[in-house]
Amino acid sequence: MSRFDADAIVVGAGPAGSCAALALARAGKNVILVERGPFAGSKNMYGGVVYPRILDELVPNWWETAPVQRWVVRRSTMILADDNAFTIDYRTPSWGRPPYNGATAYRPDFDHWLSRQAVAAGATLVTSTTVTGLLRDPAGRVNGVRTDRPDGDLSAPIVIACDGVNSFLAKEAGLYTATDAANFTVGVKETLALPRSVIEERFGVRDDHGVDIEILGGTSGVNGGGFIYTNLETVSLGVVLKLPKLTAQSKRPEEIIAGLKRHPAIAPLIEGATVQEYSAHVIPEAGLSMMPTMVTDGMLVAGDAAALCLAAGIWLEGVNFAMASGMYAGRAAAAAIDQGDVSAKGLAGYTKLLEESFVLADHRKLKDIPGLVLSDRVQQKYPGFVTSVIERVFRVDNPNPKPGLRRIVREERKRAGIKLGDLLRDGWKGMRGFG
Amino acid sequence: MIAVCLKWVQPHGAADDRFAGISAADQSALELALRTAEARGDEVLAVTVGPVGAERALRDALACGATRAVRIATEPGVSSLRTATALAAEVDAADVVWCGDYSADRGSGSVPAFLAARLGIDQALGLIDIEINGNGSHIRAVRRLDGGRREVLSVTGRAVLSVEGSTARLRRAPLRSVITADAASITVRPLESPDISAADLVPYRPRARVLPAPASANALDRVRALTDTGAAPSRTETVVLEPAAAARRILDALRDWGYLT
Ligand SMILES: Cc1cc2nc3c(=O)[nH]c(=O)nc-3n(C[C@H](O)[C@H](O)[C@H](O)COP(=O)(O)OP(=O)(O)OC[C@H]3O[C@@H](n4cnc5c(N)ncnc54)[C@H](O)[C@@H]3O)c2cc1C
Repeated sequence: MSRFDADAIVVGAGPAGSCAALALARAGKNVILVERGPFAGSKNMYGGVVYPRILDELVPNWWETAPVQRWVVRRSTMILADDNAFTIDYRTPSWGRPPYNGATAYRPDFDHWLSRQAVAAGATLVTSTTVTGLLRDPAGRVNGVRTDRPDGDLSAPIVIACDGVNSFLAKEAGLYTATDAANFTVGVKETLALPRSVIEERFGVRDDHGVDIEILGGTSGVNGGGFIYTNLETVSLGVVLKLPKLTAQSKRPEEIIAGLKRHPAIAPLIEGATVQEYSAHVIPEAGLSMMPTMVTDGMLVAGDAAALCLAAGIWLEGVNFAMASGMYAGRAAAAAIDQGDVSAKGLAGYTKLLEESFVLADHRKLKDIPGLVLSDRVQQKYPGFVTSVIERVFRVDNPNPKPGLRRIVREERKRAGIKLGDLLRDGWKGMRGFG
Repeated sequence: MIAVCLKWVQPHGAADDRFAGISAADQSALELALRTAEARGDEVLAVTVGPVGAERALRDALACGATRAVRIATEPGVSSLRTATALAAEVDAADVVWCGDYSADRGSGSVPAFLAARLGIDQALGLIDIEINGNGSHIRAVRRLDGGRREVLSVTGRAVLSVEGSTARLRRAPLRSVITADAASITVRPLESPDISAADLVPYRPRARVLPAPASANALDRVRALTDTGAAPSRTETVVLEPAAAARRILDALRDWGYLT
């Protein structure tokens, strides 16, 4: 072989890294995947639902081997106000059959499985090894990494940084401009143990079917959202909170979770559960506006490291964006190696693949949504407004005649202190934002 | 040649190797084997008895600097005696055989003793402190005895040594060695020694003992009574005597306890 240790080095065996390594290995490249944990996924957390459609391209019939907890056949969005709630609920058995749609899964299971796919395709996985810096050639091009092991330098013409949110590799390579705390949310999650039959009764599902619930409101006045996902014998319950708001209100995330768990619409779902695990992680929430430059000479960035997590307000899709961007990075890297040009120009195919796929298309389409969903009005005023409208629509107040919907909306809007102009503008923004 | 015996344990069964590994004691044994071999300019043979997954223990050992690796193929659950018999055939040329004092699962610590018996060489088991001299010819080993006492042993000939997890911290393997060990060849041999006696078929159970409920009203005393199993009662005694009488008393005590004849 050449003077290099490998054709490419991928840093981080999360969904992005494993898919990058898998794509490179499939293209016949010699790739080393470096992970700091003792196994892939050992240190990784998220809410709990993955939408792996993109894997059809990399692991055909992935659903036969992927370690899934439950197949999501029911998706709900809940709006919580003080003590009441309004839920939009969709369910279909067809999501519970191949080729499936989404699934709940544990990251230590899922990421480990995905890394084994890369290894089976020929990638070399090196665990318990932390990358501590980039190596560069005299011209300043990235050509390897330094790790915390003795004799720990590894060289390769291409490095793919998949080291997750706040990627220090992307920063070290100068791909990010300044970091702004307003671009991040913090996710905090409890894994709550309940007997399998209790989960199935409370959430109205059978067998390996499960539920994905996103929640607006219920976060004790801190801008953010909540989620509940069912696993086989646990329920993941958590909140995603805007960092500056959290600090400004000096509330602790665990207090906010406790408040959510006490809400009358949530408490019966999790009554009697024991907390099995508590975890927290930062999420790149600002989408397009915070994305780094995706390539530089000898290096590409994918997944959360490139802020590609789609955070459409409270609807988080990070794993599928990580898997897709990792795969595209791997393919672009393989093509650049074949072309003999690993400069930023030679690697530009990556940005093109992102542009042409859902990865950047979805980010562009939904670019205004995080700002809207996390805005003060949507967070503080709309949940109460919506639930009180619904309450009056559903309330039977005989002998009084039923009020008309228009009147209810007008009265409740005034009561909530929402200006008509703001409501229309937000409504328009939402319509346009979801495109 | 220096040998080290490693036991790979998969706590969640054959299908899940994520939390698998060797015990802290085995890690110490590996480190001490490497140090002994370095001092002597000798090679290290790493051996495991176990299923194919156990080869990861050997690859880790190779990455850390072991010279050769042999796996004796079995499914988990082979008796200590059979394991030791199989190991003995592999390491019979070794000058020093390092073992962990306990594995990560059964932890009965019996393999090293059986191994020494099979090899017909000395043993020093359950060591808590090790010093290896400059050329590796002399090993000073400290062993824990009952009642908080220590025994210092000097090892110069062939021996099986088993160590606790705190005796040495396993070095981190250099990156390149980790990568080459990933593809290194490992010798696999079938488990011969079919001498399964009836006793071998008895499932492993920790020995149970019936203890009367301790009488003391003090919780600490009750815990002590239950956990200081088999330890001789404390021999500490405070007496006030004239110097000459005190010296006589000490000598008498040492004679009583068997330290002087
Ligand atoms: C609370 C919360 C809820 C979420 N919910 C969902 C959800 O329900 N669905 C969804 O799709 N997404 C969700 N996400 C987002 C999702 O978790 C991420 O977008 C996704 O994990 C990104 O994958 P990645 O491979 O880019 O990075 P990561 O998963 O963060 O993986 C990075 C990997 O790199 C390794 N690493 C880091 N630094 C180094 C280094 N220096 N050297 C070696 N290795 C290193 C890490 O150990 C890790 O394995 C959620 C996130 C949070 C925080």
